[in-house]
Amino acid sequence: MPKYGMVIDQRRCVACMACVVACKKENDVPHGQFRTRVVEEVEGEFPALRMELRSELCNHCDNPPCVYNCPTGASYKRSEDGLVLLKKYRCVGCKSCLAACPYDARYINHEKGFADKCTLCEHRIKEGKSPACVATCVGGSRIFGDLDDPESLVSIVLRENHSHVLLEGAGTKPRIYYIKMYSKPE
Amino acid sequence: MELTISGINAATSPNLHIWDWRVAMYLFLGGLSAGLAVMSSILNVRKGGSLAINERAAFTAQILVPVILSVGMIFIFLDLERKLNVFWLYLSFQPLSPMSWGSWGLLVFYPVSILFAIAAIPVENRHRLLFRQLIELADWLQQYRLHLAAANFTLGIFIGIYTGVLLNSFVARPLWNSAVLPVLFLCSALSAGAALMIMIAGQKNVKLFFTKIDIWLIASEMTLLPLFFYGQYTSSYAHRESIMPFFMFNHQYFWYALAIMLLLIILPAALVIKVLEIKEEHGDTLTPEALFKMNLSAIIVLLGGLIIRFSFVYAGQLSHL
Repeated sequence: MPKYGMVIDQRRCVACMACVVACKKENDVPHGQFRTRVVEEVEGEFPALRMELRSELCNHCDNPPCVYNCPTGASYKRSEDGLVLLKKYRCVGCKSCLAACPYDARYINHEKGFADKCTLCEHRIKEGKSPACVATCVGGSRIFGDLDDPESLVSIVLRENHSHVLLEGAGTKPRIYYIKMYSKPE
Repeated sequence: MELTISGINAATSPNLHIWDWRVAMYLFLGGLSAGLAVMSSILNVRKGGSLAINERAAFTAQILVPVILSVGMIFIFLDLERKLNVFWLYLSFQPLSPMSWGSWGLLVFYPVSILFAIAAIPVENRHRLLFRQLIELADWLQQYRLHLAAANFTLGIFIGIYTGVLLNSFVARPLWNSAVLPVLFLCSALSAGAALMIMIAGQKNVKLFFTKIDIWLIASEMTLLPLFFYGQYTSSYAHRESIMPFFMFNHQYFWYALAIMLLLIILPAALVIKVLEIKEEHGDTLTPEALFKMNLSAIIVLLGGLIIRFSFVYAGQLSHL
């Protein structure tokens, strides 16, 4: 059983937004809504400024609050690969999952009304392809693979670099890892 | 340290306002019906049921419970994005979802409150029921009146707590993620129920009885509110920041500051009026002035409950880990 995850190597991101565009095209995301985004965070005071580019998407948490809070079982964690997915036909659009997600990764699809989210392009994974955002990433910043396979690129990259997850304290156990600048282990 | 999120990405950030006035109204009306159910059970059982003799509120209050709840349910239904899928709430039970517990809880609360309302109709008024079957049902339910009162009371407490747990379960929203919130919402719901009961009741001793109950409930609310804010302030950075809209008197957070200022006026004012009411020497019947004061303090309490729901629902969505 694979355990899919993603590594975002922030050293390689140039904020070209190709991932955002590819995701919208691949998944037919409505105008003005996004399954992934690139956050530009500026720190410091002029002229000593520093900018972080951080791609954000659903973290496919191992402890997913959106799944726990879903009253109909529409949001679920797929047992075979751990992806957090949605049974659209069961979604009532109560927005509990939106309120529950600490990453603001979900949104109400304003064309169809369900609580949409990133699926890590599970339809592409089925065909042996990587998610659209990964396939299109020009800098190779987004790396996708099986976290349980020690030979997969994600496992190798995670072994060779310091990494962190977003809001670790929330206890959601995310599967999206981030590598920041100068994070090579000594 | 200055921290900004700038450029095109700000537009891609999701809108934090997920729930609006419809959810706030649902929480208020759900709490009010739960509180009224508890008070109605107390009225019918307390002092061996002697309080309920010749008291119109003994059955009118209980009739109002499902009516108010239905109005609240309309509001939450309006908030659903896919209304036709609502039946899925009753085709599964999700043990970790407060909304699932609430949906099933309401499904039990509805018939119990209606059955208790029918059972509470006085024998002399049963002939007014439209259908013969209803009269027979009311007669048959008479023997289970105490059991129904107990179930109605328990479910009222459950629904009152549920309105708070619904918000409290979100780790992502620090303002809501406090164990004090469900207790505060329960107190507020019971207080609103007692206030409405005072307005409905016809007899002086019943009005004064619920005024005494409401005094304790308002005092509990006045204790819980500062405790809630103190708990948040002394907790993590995110929890501390989450209460700031209530205490930052600027144009951005004006409504939250106004809400807390109103609560600071409303709750003590209601408490003082109520204490004066029970200390006052009333004659055999209440004077129009005394009735006005009672109704005024009851409306103030209901307004306080409404302010708590609205300000917490909106402010909670501004808070973030």
